[in-house]
Amino acid sequence: MRQSEKVFITLIISLICILLCIAGSLALGSRSVSPGELIDALFLGKAGTFGQIVVRERIPRTVFSLIAGAALGISGALMQAITRNPIADPSVLGVNTGASLFVVMGIAFLNIQTAGQYIVLALLGAAITAVFVYGIGSLGAGGATPIKLALAGSATSAALSSFVSAIMLPRSNVMDNFRFWQVGSVSGANWTNIRAVLPLLIIGFLISILLAPVLNAMALGDEMASVLGVHTGIARAIGALAGVVLCGAITAVAGPIGFVGLMVPHVMRLLLGPDQRIIMPMSAVGGALILTAADIAGRILGNPGELESGVVTAFLGAPVLIIIAVKSKGSSL
Amino acid sequence: MNNEHQLKVEHITAGYDGRTILKDIELAIPVNKISVILGANACGKSTLLKTIARLLKPSSGKITLDGKGIWTFPSKHLARVLGLLPQSPVVPEGIVVADLVSRGRFPYQGLMKGLSREDHAAVAEALEIMGITNLADRRLDELSGGQKQRVWIAMALAQDTDILLLDEPTTYLDITYQVEILDLLTDLNRKKGTTIVMVLHDINLSARYADYIFALREGCLVSEGTPSEVINEELIKEVYGMNCSVISDPVSGSPFVLPKGRHHVLDSCLA
Repeated sequence: MRQSEKVFITLIISLICILLCIAGSLALGSRSVSPGELIDALFLGKAGTFGQIVVRERIPRTVFSLIAGAALGISGALMQAITRNPIADPSVLGVNTGASLFVVMGIAFLNIQTAGQYIVLALLGAAITAVFVYGIGSLGAGGATPIKLALAGSATSAALSSFVSAIMLPRSNVMDNFRFWQVGSVSGANWTNIRAVLPLLIIGFLISILLAPVLNAMALGDEMASVLGVHTGIARAIGALAGVVLCGAITAVAGPIGFVGLMVPHVMRLLLGPDQRIIMPMSAVGGALILTAADIAGRILGNPGELESGVVTAFLGAPVLIIIAVKSKGSSL
Repeated sequence: MNNEHQLKVEHITAGYDGRTILKDIELAIPVNKISVILGANACGKSTLLKTIARLLKPSSGKITLDGKGIWTFPSKHLARVLGLLPQSPVVPEGIVVADLVSRGRFPYQGLMKGLSREDHAAVAEALEIMGITNLADRRLDELSGGQKQRVWIAMALAQDTDILLLDEPTTYLDITYQVEILDLLTDLNRKKGTTIVMVLHDINLSARYADYIFALREGCLVSEGTPSEVINEELIKEVYGMNCSVISDPVSGSPFVLPKGRHHVLDSCLA
């Protein structure tokens, strides 16, 4: 099969699945809605019955799970490309947890309230953690190998996560509302915070598309990339910034959702090969699909309550991480 | 053949982390010729190539291209004139030959633009020159060492530079492939006038295929000239610390080095 055909077929199948997931996400939950009510509410603008109102309430959450999945997918693809490391991902590297910790500290000590404050703190936490983990992972011989980065990331993530717990546990009265700062969930999304993060996501997405040819050159090694005319330091900094902004903005709304950025680019590379001009947009598509499906699965599995989507993605993602770690003999990507 | 780019190394001192490797090297790369840099391990051959290709900033001195310091060129501009094939580039997992070769077109691509018609033509030509058109859709990890090396050189050809530097392009290859690669590079030099500079380990193949030789010892240039001017017993002793006899290669007429170790040397040959 030719490459363009493969991409086309993968795209069509993914889009069909996304449409099904959108319908599922709007209809399914602790109060499920009939297809008739779903169509009435969506296409005829009716908001009379309880079912129709439920559908409208679920729209922002569904929209957010799509864009959050897309952002996390691209963020993972960017991090993997700039580190040439198949294990790089916002959650494995602890970046999401870092963002989460900063927001939780803001809530506990600074009394932050607006979406903008959440985002600023989340981005700050994400950026600091990214630099910290990459620094630790690069120590010693051989630079930032996949295994060293993953170890540095998971150790950091565990430590930061325990800080999150330490801050939240004494405040048990608010804990129920803030449980998703430990394991991410899209349930807290509303139009206000979607509007707040959207510009950041668009910037991150555009950068990833523009950077794709540069990342293709960098995939051949830094020396080869320099010979081809790439400023590798600048390209890496821009890519890292975009990756951190994408996952930081999502974490500000949803908490640390794990493994989407790890799984999706990996599956896309397996299916479609290593061309970043394809991997970047397809990771967005795949991420949107996975996270929305995970959210639906969480609602069904957790019925009558719900399971955080971050729990579901972690459940899917952990085996993938193990497979990649076993497969990668050192530094290949 | 309008390749007249002058590449000069002017009093370069360079190294890593304060450790000096190249000491005050001064040389001019012969235009339209194949030059080979010879020298023992760790004498600075690769470092010299890297410094010329702007991968390493010299601590003093400068490299000039047509009289201008190479660090003053915009990077994509330089990448259209000067190419380098490193010793061990990274292979992206699962990449196919055509994709890899097309990545050599990076210096010609604009923002957001895909491959242009010239890009496709350059890739097709590079595949053809290297004789690997039939491998275009194959994955690189399925190919033999010799085929892989042809793919990498094809990528460097797609970059379409007048000057091509190669760091040990024949290392790890069987003798058949070594000769094949050197033949292909000679074709390229003769057809397109590409100035080629490479590091090689095999002195005898170097003597055959090089128009010009630079011999390095401990970071200093000790000799330069055509193979027959440069390669003799004294130079080999000086550069490699090895006794030898030099005869005329009966196949090519170039100098041929016969090493003399401690064993298996006839009494009549002992100096």
